[in-house]
Amino acid sequence: MNQQLAKLTGTASVVLSLLACAGLAQADGHLSKPAGFGDRPLTMIVPFGPGGGSDQLARAMAKAMEEEAGISFQVVNKAGGGGTAAIPDFMLAPADGYTVLEHIDNAISAYASGDIRENPAVDWIPLCMTQITFSQIYIRTDESRFSDWASFVEYAKANPGEATMANLGKVGSMELVVMHQLSDALGLDVKQIAFDKPAERYGALIGGHVDVLFEQPGDVRSFLDAGQMKPILTFLDARPDAFAEVPTHREVGADFESLTRFRGFFVKSGVPSDRVEFLAAACAAGFSNPDYAEFNRNKYMHLIDSYRDTEGSIELINGAVATYQAMYEQLGI
Amino acid sequence: MDMFIQGTMNLFGDWNTLLIFAMGLLGGMIFGATPGVNMLTLGAVVLPFTITMLPEHAIMLFSVIYCAGVFGGAITAILFNIPGAPENAPTCFDGYPMTLRGESGKAIGAAVSCSAIGGLASAILMMSATGAIAGWAIRAFGPQEIFALIFFGLAVSASIGAATLWKGWLSVLAGLLIATIGTDPVGGIARFNEGSLLGLSFHSYYLSAGIHFIPIILGFFAVSEVFAQAVNIAMGTRERPKAGLEFPSAAEFWRVRWTMLRSVGIGFFAGILPGIGATLAAFLGYSQAQRWSRNRQNFGKGEIEGVVASETANNAATGAAMIPLLALGLPGGALTAMMLGIFQIHGMEPGPLIFINSGELVWITFAAMFWANLLIIFLGWLQTKTVVHLLRIPFRWLAPGILMLAIVGAYALRNLFIDVWVMFIAGIAGYLLRRTGYSAAGIVLGLILGKLGESAFTKSMQLMDYNFLGFFERPIAAVLIVLGVGAVILSIAGEFRRVEQQKASLD
Repeated sequence: MNQQLAKLTGTASVVLSLLACAGLAQADGHLSKPAGFGDRPLTMIVPFGPGGGSDQLARAMAKAMEEEAGISFQVVNKAGGGGTAAIPDFMLAPADGYTVLEHIDNAISAYASGDIRENPAVDWIPLCMTQITFSQIYIRTDESRFSDWASFVEYAKANPGEATMANLGKVGSMELVVMHQLSDALGLDVKQIAFDKPAERYGALIGGHVDVLFEQPGDVRSFLDAGQMKPILTFLDARPDAFAEVPTHREVGADFESLTRFRGFFVKSGVPSDRVEFLAAACAAGFSNPDYAEFNRNKYMHLIDSYRDTEGSIELINGAVATYQAMYEQLGI
Repeated sequence: MDMFIQGTMNLFGDWNTLLIFAMGLLGGMIFGATPGVNMLTLGAVVLPFTITMLPEHAIMLFSVIYCAGVFGGAITAILFNIPGAPENAPTCFDGYPMTLRGESGKAIGAAVSCSAIGGLASAILMMSATGAIAGWAIRAFGPQEIFALIFFGLAVSASIGAATLWKGWLSVLAGLLIATIGTDPVGGIARFNEGSLLGLSFHSYYLSAGIHFIPIILGFFAVSEVFAQAVNIAMGTRERPKAGLEFPSAAEFWRVRWTMLRSVGIGFFAGILPGIGATLAAFLGYSQAQRWSRNRQNFGKGEIEGVVASETANNAATGAAMIPLLALGLPGGALTAMMLGIFQIHGMEPGPLIFINSGELVWITFAAMFWANLLIIFLGWLQTKTVVHLLRIPFRWLAPGILMLAIVGAYALRNLFIDVWVMFIAGIAGYLLRRTGYSAAGIVLGLILGKLGESAFTKSMQLMDYNFLGFFERPIAAVLIVLGVGAVILSIAGEFRRVEQQKASLD
């Protein structure tokens, strides 16, 4: 095959498919784009590896927004440092609305602890939050040393410092703060192992390299459905219907308001306001897109209210920053 | 076997299916062979269209793009020293020198055939081995074993492309040092991103994101080669490479049969491990071939065995990478993650049940990967006869084209112009390194494996309470580390003997 011909054909097919994308959306005509915006693909940065909860959300949301708003996205994974490694790429991109960052509460805790300089409610503009969820602790179904929360606690106390938990490691992250609170309340000693890639984290539990996993139910649904993992503890004030047989942290004697995991989409401050409004509207439309709603349902996101608009997101972020800062003071982090 | 025949009939029995298959094959090869874009670009463009496809068509399409894309990257590696993807980097080491010797046809022929053989072998292994292999791999290989495997890979590959062992090691260590720039994988602490120079303090977001290996690879291989050739032209010492059309002979393939077999094993094995995949497979395949070859001294100078080893291994990894995805729902890389996305778009979850619930999908995918690899031989043979004519273009016209492709490739990574500057700096550095006998390949190896290795190492250390001896309590990890250390000691002893012999012959 001739090299230059190959290149031309490649370029042509990219152009054609982009035209096709644009054409489809124009025909549906749900949202009108601001002048001069959205004619080339936007970049969506995912600060975690492919296959994990953030990656799945970003791809589902990108698709929903493509359908609803006639824009197209290139999803880019930039994993590392518990979600902080992607922030430089985002901050280096021009403030033109063409770069959207998916990020989670980790960015808020990283700001609260001073690890990153950017305040997600000030230096970034949240377009929306589309997933707000609770956490659980999981074990392998074929685990022989323990089978539920009570027997795990027994095991962990019999082997202090031996039990290992696969976690998303970043000092002061939601996971580690919650586990710190739980360990303090129950006198547990569980070793936290930081994994930056979700697939490795799940593989580590299934493969038996760690004893338990801290995660949100939607991210491991396939493993739950396939009977490879099962929850032994839910971090929520009351048992949700879907997990009626699993005790909550309050029931096992830990009396604290558990932090939630939330995921949303941001642009940099300084993006023209018409573009911000358009993208926020696209996000809202994406959230009610039937396929996206189905995706969120599959991720157990219907169990608690999972949507916030820009205002609501800022409120959520500011509240979380205050909570984290209070927690750090209390825990001496 | 019945299942395979059924899958094949489903594949070829329907015009739609066949058309999607053919498009995937061509698209993957074209995107794989064009630097700047790659199979991931194609995957991202195609992803929205898979919504309206049947799930088995969509998954089949992506698996075909995957097979064809990994092969396509070899073409530019051989002709212009531009690896289409990191897993094609070791193909440059011998493929490009072969081109300079006028044996481009042979090199591409070997790459084509071996890509296909590696892919076929791994497709067959994949079909015969069910989820059992995936289950075994994930249990046997924890962070400690993965670190030990990477350590072993570094230890045996250290002298690739260097004039002496010491220069090889210095190159690898420089690569490892570059890999430490950026945010650490455990605590999220940025390194080398702040400081002061001549009283001016600076803070760099670029440095806290780390140096990516793509601009470094493009700089070291493509840009530095353009400089080297330009200097040769200026000095009047350059001979234009002849466009060789010769395909490797059967005897040549027979000579490298063990290398092929070894690379299939290495590639398949590396592919199964999530997150390791084709790049380590290619480097390990190459270094093991060099270690066991009778023509060891010719490696890096245009030894066909090097091309065979690297291309067999990286394609063998493709079939294997489907195993953890299908059997466990664990994607090993970006393209398999897109496939996970397709499953979810269609309301399906990969996992152990998929072989039972969606047998048709699994087997049409397996059959497609098998036939795609078989067709690569034919399409590749056509390429051997056509694409090498690009070498007839005078270098003064070719060089800007190569630089342009490299710039696009570096920029497209994350749309950062700094990456282009990094590429040019790497290009100049690569040129100087080559002239002084250091190894650009070693630095790239150190950089790629350094990042993977650091991530595995930090997890291991947390699991073992920061007790290094913990590695030796795990048999597989212990064996790999001991073999790695042994390889280093042997190569040092060999280097001393070589120097002694040289001295003796001088006396």
